[in-house]
Amino acid sequence: MAGKGLKSLSEAMNGLRIAAAQPCRALSSARPSPWISRRSMATEAPVANITRSVDEPWQPISSVPVTIYSFPTLEPRALESWSPKHLHLPLRRDILHLAVVYEGDKTRQGTACAKTRWEVHGSHRKMGPQKGSGRARRGSKQSPLLRGGGKSHGPRPRDFSTKLNRKVYDLAWRTALSYRYRRGELIVAEDGLELPLPDDFLQLAELGRLGNELEDSFVRKYIKQIMEGLAWGKANGRTTFITGDRRPNLFTGMEAAGEDGRAMELEDVDVKDLLETGRIVIERSALKEMIKKHQSDLVTRVAIKGLTSKTPPTGQLIAV
Amino acid sequence: MPPRLPLARAARCCSEMAIGAPSMFATRPASLVSLFAALSVQTQTKPQSQTRSASILANLSDNRGAYHKRIRKGRGASSGYGKTSGRGMKGQKQHGSVHPWFQGGQTPLIVSHGRKGFENLRADKMSEINLDRIQAWIDAGRLDPTKKITPRELILSGIIGRSYKDGIKILARGKTGLKMPIDIMVSRVSAAAIEAIEAVGGKVTTRYYTKESIKRLVQGDSISTDKPLPVGAEHVADILEKARSAKKHYYRLPDPTSRWDIEYYRDPAHRGYLSHTLKPGESPSLYFKVPGVKAAFVKSTKAKKVNAEDLDEKLF
Repeated sequence: MAGKGLKSLSEAMNGLRIAAAQPCRALSSARPSPWISRRSMATEAPVANITRSVDEPWQPISSVPVTIYSFPTLEPRALESWSPKHLHLPLRRDILHLAVVYEGDKTRQGTACAKTRWEVHGSHRKMGPQKGSGRARRGSKQSPLLRGGGKSHGPRPRDFSTKLNRKVYDLAWRTALSYRYRRGELIVAEDGLELPLPDDFLQLAELGRLGNELEDSFVRKYIKQIMEGLAWGKANGRTTFITGDRRPNLFTGMEAAGEDGRAMELEDVDVKDLLETGRIVIERSALKEMIKKHQSDLVTRVAIKGLTSKTPPTGQLIAV
Repeated sequence: MPPRLPLARAARCCSEMAIGAPSMFATRPASLVSLFAALSVQTQTKPQSQTRSASILANLSDNRGAYHKRIRKGRGASSGYGKTSGRGMKGQKQHGSVHPWFQGGQTPLIVSHGRKGFENLRADKMSEINLDRIQAWIDAGRLDPTKKITPRELILSGIIGRSYKDGIKILARGKTGLKMPIDIMVSRVSAAAIEAIEAVGGKVTTRYYTKESIKRLVQGDSISTDKPLPVGAEHVADILEKARSAKKHYYRLPDPTSRWDIEYYRDPAHRGYLSHTLKPGESPSLYFKVPGVKAAFVKSTKAKKVNAEDLDEKLF
């Protein structure tokens, strides 16, 4: 009984399937057109209508938030919105590579120099007869074939610097900043980033009561305590402090406590420096200046009735 | 590696349950939970190690295409270019060079046969866009799939580098990657691209463009339309009124005039915008008529009725 029922069900399903496959003949025209007239000149493809649309198309991020901290308490002082074209660029390792190699090339001293056979000291007299000695013929003592002779194609002092498109370099700069921002390794501090050494120590140092050693060791210990507390020291990959100009306490302090970090002025910073240590602590005005100097691919310098190019917004205050 | 789901094992369990194998009756699973457990994510037996360097500087490199193998000839057998350095054994080519077109003195083919054909310098150059590039642009949010995609949107998105050629053609590389329906109107489309776009529910139309008309569309001096220019005196008054009342003058989009172009856009297989002008059964060609179609439109010749009066008047 069950078998019969199944059989009839499957037959019904088969019937339905066949009916669906065959087109309804009643609706077609009375005189069917010949096959040859239905042929077109090109290959056929079935026609379909657009059936649905996307409800919420993807929208890119319009701004990224940046917290401004005080140093060294790390109290959040302000919240700003920055452009994603400055701090949220996609990671392009090839562009970073180009910039790092370009910087490395132009840093090379290029002073290696090997003496050629004409520069090696000695007379250029022929060292033996051309024929008859049983040995290979020899000209001068400085031949590159001989020990003590010159080098045919050794290094010569030259310029190893290469060129990189300014816009590519600027993009690399901002890509490095974006990389740090996304990893939370870009800490923006208030302007006037300086090491707050205790007043009594500073007075004593000014009077000259402490020797160099004592001053250095005190500052070292002071910085070590700060770095250990913030987890910014050697155990956490070191920290780079970037300021607009030289801050005496901070710079001399970081020279003394070099294993926990370093301090550099804005003009000395490179893309490689931005990628090296565990984090970057930069003061807000220095970051603004840095981005302003490295956005040539966003801002055109072509002046048509004056320079009207608009820069993307940098540091618009949201909350204090 | 993404986690591998043991689907084969789960399928086997399910198929055994359906068939009702005798083994299953003996050792039936306790509940559906055990079946679902078969689909749970299995951890890899050998955990893959991830290396992380102290700094990204250790993992920077240019793209693969920027690096090329350095070939130094004559520096040992293992290099592949040692000893004869890729020149073979003896002969003029090892010791010097021979022009590649020299045939040893025999009359060269270019002299005996001449050159073939000619280069059509006036041919239309189309910008080619493949479907994988369109999908990538949609994924990046540079193209909006909810709106009709015309040459203006394509050029402003930079998918063809903000260049103006004689037209835009859609090709089908990466057609399996196209996941969403798009409404697109361009100069030409390949048959595979039409199939791929319509398979996911999209719509494609081809329309005649010139380089100047595309430029005007991008600059906003023309309005995009998929309808040909109206022909006939009855349209004149209406269009004149619209043009006079409008604040800005808009250039109209041209229609094809050459035979090849007209035939291309009349063809429904190309999804041409003139294909609606074809009568049923008509071929898009302007010259070749489909045999047997004429019979449908020409009235059948009927034999004239011979009147008795007419016969009387005639002498012979």
